Amino acid sequence: MDKDKKDITPGIEEYLEALFHLQEEGKAVSTKALAEKLSLKPASVSEMVKKLAALKLVRHKPYRGVTLTKNGQKAAASLVRRHRLSERFLADMLGVPWDELHDEACKFEHVISDKVEEKLLEALGDPETCPHGNPIPTADGKVSEQAAVPLSRFGPGESGVIAKITEEKPEFLQYLASLGMLPDVSVQVQEVAPFGGPIIIKIRCGSYAIGRDIAGHIYLKPSSAVRLHEKHQQSHQRNQR
Amino acid sequence: MAMSCHSVISELKEPVDVVIALAGNPNVGKSVIFNQLTGMGVVSANYPGTTMEVNVASTRLDDLSIGILDLPGTYGLGAISEDQRVARRCLLDEKPGALIYILDATNLERNLYMLLQLIELSTPVVVGLNLVDEAKRFGYTIDADQMSRMLGLPVVPTVAVTGEGVETLLRTAVGVAQGKVKLQPMRVRYGRDIEEKIEDLARVIIKELDERPVDIPVRALAIGLLEDDTEFQIVVGGANGGKKVLEEAERLAAEITEHHGEPAAIRFSRERHGLAGVIVESVKSVVSSKLPLTQRLWAYTVNPRTGIPLMLLVMALIFGFLFYVGGALSDVLTRLWQAGPHLLIQGAVFTVFGEGALGRTLLWGFDGGIVAALSVGVPYVLTFYLILAFLEDSGYLNSMAFLADTLMHKLGLHGRAVIPMVAGAGCNVPAIIGTRVLTSERERFIASTLIVLVPCSARVAVIMGGVAKFAGVSYALGIFAVSAAVALSVGWGLNKFMPGQSSGLVMEMFGLRRPSISVIAKKTWYRFKDFIFVAFPIVMVGSLVLGGLYETGLIWPISAPLKPIIITWLGLPLITGIALIFAVLRKELALQFLITFAVAQYGAGATNLLLFMTKQQLFVYGLVMTIYIPCIATVAVLGRELGWKRAAAIIALTVGIALLLGGVAYRVLALF
Repeated sequence: MDKDKKDITPGIEEYLEALFHLQEEGKAVSTKALAEKLSLKPASVSEMVKKLAALKLVRHKPYRGVTLTKNGQKAAASLVRRHRLSERFLADMLGVPWDELHDEACKFEHVISDKVEEKLLEALGDPETCPHGNPIPTADGKVSEQAAVPLSRFGPGESGVIAKITEEKPEFLQYLASLGMLPDVSVQVQEVAPFGGPIIIKIRCGSYAIGRDIAGHIYLKPSSAVRLHEKHQQSHQRNQR
Repeated sequence: MAMSCHSVISELKEPVDVVIALAGNPNVGKSVIFNQLTGMGVVSANYPGTTMEVNVASTRLDDLSIGILDLPGTYGLGAISEDQRVARRCLLDEKPGALIYILDATNLERNLYMLLQLIELSTPVVVGLNLVDEAKRFGYTIDADQMSRMLGLPVVPTVAVTGEGVETLLRTAVGVAQGKVKLQPMRVRYGRDIEEKIEDLARVIIKELDERPVDIPVRALAIGLLEDDTEFQIVVGGANGGKKVLEEAERLAAEITEHHGEPAAIRFSRERHGLAGVIVESVKSVVSSKLPLTQRLWAYTVNPRTGIPLMLLVMALIFGFLFYVGGALSDVLTRLWQAGPHLLIQGAVFTVFGEGALGRTLLWGFDGGIVAALSVGVPYVLTFYLILAFLEDSGYLNSMAFLADTLMHKLGLHGRAVIPMVAGAGCNVPAIIGTRVLTSERERFIASTLIVLVPCSARVAVIMGGVAKFAGVSYALGIFAVSAAVALSVGWGLNKFMPGQSSGLVMEMFGLRRPSISVIAKKTWYRFKDFIFVAFPIVMVGSLVLGGLYETGLIWPISAPLKPIIITWLGLPLITGIALIFAVLRKELALQFLITFAVAQYGAGATNLLLFMTKQQLFVYGLVMTIYIPCIATVAVLGRELGWKRAAAIIALTVGIALLLGGVAYRVLALF
């Protein structure tokens, strides 16, 4: 792991991060899509993808697109994790203005070691999300490994993170967003009414009863929040030993 | 709906020195504060949408007269729903001197969202931090001073139900309106790339538009356009040079979408929530994380295993309470009336107008009409309003709506319709007014139609006292079964064939709250006052008209055309037709008149209806009486709430079904 890390330059990290986000959105990632995301020329992206494949961070099959390997996934998730933790740190501890958070975090994230990351997590009280509401993934990138499941299939006590809302009317999407229901928000199911009735969910912005038909349009990734917490505790125990 | 807010304030009788607007999310105690400020006028409900009408009232502070404009409770200020559009339009039209924004301290983050939008519109805002007592019970405190510093706005902690802090709030708002209190609102900033886009678009707006089509800051207009705000798009599109602005907005929004992998509007939402979250982090301190008792109880009210038995119990209690308390009140009021005012009025009318047709007609209205209202309307309606206010204020109504949603959905309704439906069994009038809790016109129409088909207490009286007593309990149960089947099929049919569909449910759940007796009492009274002014005059006028027809004998030629329907189609004696007409006034008259007429025609022994009607005829009569036109007070409320066209449709539908079923029942029963 440590040896791998040395080969991952900030430039490579940008690629991994972009790939991670595109995969998170559930899209098949072509070099063209990647080029658009990074605002680079497709030719230079192809070049870089070859380099990444050589480092065994991505797999690239012609016409099938680019996918992260297990190692690539780990590296990318860890980066995203450090980015979002940095945002939390900069906002909560240093009071860095909102509009500068993202840019500052982009610089900050590259200098965080595993040890500092652990300390940050502790000092920030084990946050689940960055200030934008995006979940902080576990080091092995669990957030994106889960397939999205409609909210209507969740039971009481289960939780997850909103992956996408497949509702066509933009007004309705915006309405849900104003209530705090938007992708990357953690959701906990509190209660489910019998016979296909509504579902009560709890999010940061309060509790809502959602009709089953609408719940069918809200896709969640089963939560990693619990696992993140467990993991944190495990590492805690390890440290104590 | 062309809802302009223009000159809502001018509805006030006297000109006012200062206009203060009141805004906030639903269920934050805004209406209670409005009542505290003005001491009159608005019903405060825990339901989204009940304050959708814009309320105005005036109040005084020292020697100033102040107009208070109560905007609909909304979750935001975009153009994405009717209530939000109304709230924003009002704000922009009226330009209040200051706006009081009520924040729910137990749900700060979502409440701050709309506050950020208000700041963007450069509204002069004073923040009322409400429910601070409730937040304490949740185990946390909010630092109002810190919040005030961060927002750059005055923040006044309040407890709406006790009135704590409300005067300070008004005083501060008036200070702002008069320029005595200076505001330095925070700047709502987004991510750097988004800020660039906003600036780009603002530059284009300034360059291309000769004058701004809406009176808001350029920045707010730019943000609105980037957010795909349809209302701003329309006004800008109609302005000179607007087309170019819209094209540019679309291009920049697409860039945001591209860069962040989500629609620009959603990105703005996300960042606002994030900013709200950052504010919350620095003003909220958690003291304990133990849930308050009300929240722990709430969990039982929504858990199907405990919640459904509880709901059935509560419904039985409501029904029992209406039946016994309403019934007792009805007895007492009727007796009180008979003992005093009745004799006085009778004496006075007969002395002045004589005991002829005129005198007796007047008595129909001023004695009989009032008795009708006292014996049916007042006791049941008042009792029901009391129950409704308690259920709303405690927050239990939401739990019920949640559990009943499945059944209601099949009828094209939401769970929210469950309470008006239960209420309909007491009296249709408050139940129909209660459909205001439903959001769409379609739902209100369906719910009102179904309520009319629910046998109210007066109809139950006829079924029990007439059909069950003389024809037997099984006939009475038959009538209940048939009317239930009718209500279910009508609901199902309307849902299936009426254009549109039931919109999905998204309902805020805020747990149980400690109900406040004074708020419940006030709410009950405001609603009841409304009922008195609608139903009382109508019952009295209706009684006068029918009394006149009866006393002059005109009723007989009028009833002649009823013969083919009553005798041929329904197989009933003609006098039942007249009784049915009278029963439009008050449904229990269907029984009382039948007995009166019977006595008149067949002599004193005719109180036994079986002397001139068979059991089958009693069943048919009871069935028709239950389903056809609701009473005149219900018709009046239907007309007022839904419009006369829809009221007429409901009446036609019920009369049609009643006659159809009555005729069929007559023929089917004849086979046995």
